Amino acid sequence: MNHREPATGEVPLFEAAGLAKEYDDGRVPALCGVDFRISEGEFVSIVGPSGCGKSTLLNLLGMLDRPTAGTLRYRGKPLHQTGDPASYRAREVGFIFQSFHLLPTFTIEENVMIPTFGFPATRAEKRRRAKELLEAVGLSHRLGHLPVKLSGGERQRAAIARSLVNRPGILLADEPTGNLDSKNAGHVMELLLRLQREHKTTLVLVTHDHGVAAHASRVIRMKDGRIVSDAPGTSAP
Amino acid sequence: MSFLQVIFRGLWRRPVRTGLTVLGISIGIAAVVALVGMSSGYEKSVSGQLDAIGIDVIVSNMQGGIMPKAFDESVRDRIAELPGVAEANGTLMQMLSVEDAPMMVVYGREWGSFTWDQFKLIEGRLPRDADEPAVVLGKLAAEVLRKKAGDRIQVETGDFEVVGIVDGQSVLENGAVNMPLPRFQEVSGYDGRVNFINIRVPGGSSPAAVDELCRTIEEMFPGLRAVKADQVVGTSQGFQMARAMSWSTSLLALVVGVLGVMNTMLMSVFERKHEIGVLLALGWRRSRIMALILCESAAMGFLGGIVGVVLGSVTLAALQMAPAVRGFLEPDLGWGLAASAISIAVGVGVISGLYPAWRSSRLSPGIALQG
Repeated sequence: MNHREPATGEVPLFEAAGLAKEYDDGRVPALCGVDFRISEGEFVSIVGPSGCGKSTLLNLLGMLDRPTAGTLRYRGKPLHQTGDPASYRAREVGFIFQSFHLLPTFTIEENVMIPTFGFPATRAEKRRRAKELLEAVGLSHRLGHLPVKLSGGERQRAAIARSLVNRPGILLADEPTGNLDSKNAGHVMELLLRLQREHKTTLVLVTHDHGVAAHASRVIRMKDGRIVSDAPGTSAP
Repeated sequence: MSFLQVIFRGLWRRPVRTGLTVLGISIGIAAVVALVGMSSGYEKSVSGQLDAIGIDVIVSNMQGGIMPKAFDESVRDRIAELPGVAEANGTLMQMLSVEDAPMMVVYGREWGSFTWDQFKLIEGRLPRDADEPAVVLGKLAAEVLRKKAGDRIQVETGDFEVVGIVDGQSVLENGAVNMPLPRFQEVSGYDGRVNFINIRVPGGSSPAAVDELCRTIEEMFPGLRAVKADQVVGTSQGFQMARAMSWSTSLLALVVGVLGVMNTMLMSVFERKHEIGVLLALGWRRSRIMALILCESAAMGFLGGIVGVVLGSVTLAALQMAPAVRGFLEPDLGWGLAASAISIAVGVGVISGLYPAWRSSRLSPGIALQG
């Protein structure tokens, strides 16, 4: 593997060993025993053709699914054995999806506030945080609009604001530009990179677009549920 | 944004379906309100009547039916001789079709007994004696029959003069046609028979003494029941049957309501699988998702309860105006019944939401997000 090795004594953010996931009682293998490490603050792209297991890997990193074999350690602890999925998803990670997944009956501001339910902050504080983020993504004029009134690019920017509302250390993005035209895709990628730098988050981005993947400091290529290469991206230091 | 807003946004996603489900529950609740309101209204009417007349003990032969069977009026004389009885008189009561009114309560009362005392004359006079072929109408009965003092009225085979219109101090009394006992026995074919003995005990009688009197009467006249006035409604088999029937019919309507809400909530969970996946991915706990589904379900129950109470009240008001009911039924729609009905509706909502909520909590976010 050609990934950045953590410095001696440094515990990697994620460390997978023999990580596997099968569906349909083992008839459909999605991930076939992969090993990798991801350090804090890295921007890692995972690329590969459809069905190669990249989204499955992202789901395991986000505790949206459980592995069928192997271990995935998060800050040195086995994630799926000891972690509380809801708390992990609420506090540690922010998700960005290809189809935005904004809730249609809530305004953009409300959508951004949804992950804050159960957080110990006043409603005014949560609202202020949502407004700040929507301002940061250039949507301060769209607070009260329903998602249906926004363009694809605007929806994805709202989804990025939502992913950051609880100040997570990790952003997991699944084809964030997959449903956007090239102009909007460029804007969204610029925004993601800027916010990743500003918020010092670890960004794991799944894409089949090599142009998008090239923004990363490291690119993991997958095929048939296996990692076939792990190399620095064009933005690698 | 509050949790309550999230609940109502969820319901607002499918306004027509939510509306129809709420309507389904409300029909069940309206049935509860109307049936229970009528049954408890009838109980209230009877209690009101007994209070108005001032009866302490009532003797009848219920035999499991709603209308008591007639028995020989000589029983009254033997009861009147018992120690602990201040006054006893007989009444013959029948529910009859009188002229255009499909059903009216007609009383034959012993002339000179205390059962005439509560009448306050509005118009005309009371009968002059026990033999006068005259009737006195309660004010509601006069309204239903469209009669005034001086008019003629046909009751069974007899032609009578309406000599007075009275305020009887209770709904049953106001809705009744009253005449001297011998005249009613004659026209109804119940010569020498009554179906109630009304007893007053001397002032200051202890409850134990009244209980003892009831036991003595029941021992002397097997088949007759002597009941203290304040226990008539609680112990009568007829009332118990009416209460059981109204609740069991309501229960059927509620079961239909439960199935309707459960179906809606299950459909909602299946349809919103994707949304539930998003909420789980955004860090919502399964318990919060379950609470959301249960609260949505309970909210539909609550709305259905309110609409049901309104529908039930309108139904009761309409029934109260119906000639068949008017005069012997005062529907009882108190805050207690409304609160019970709404509580039942919320309970229906919660019960209906349990299974869908459990189903929602079993969803895997990874799979749910795929659609």
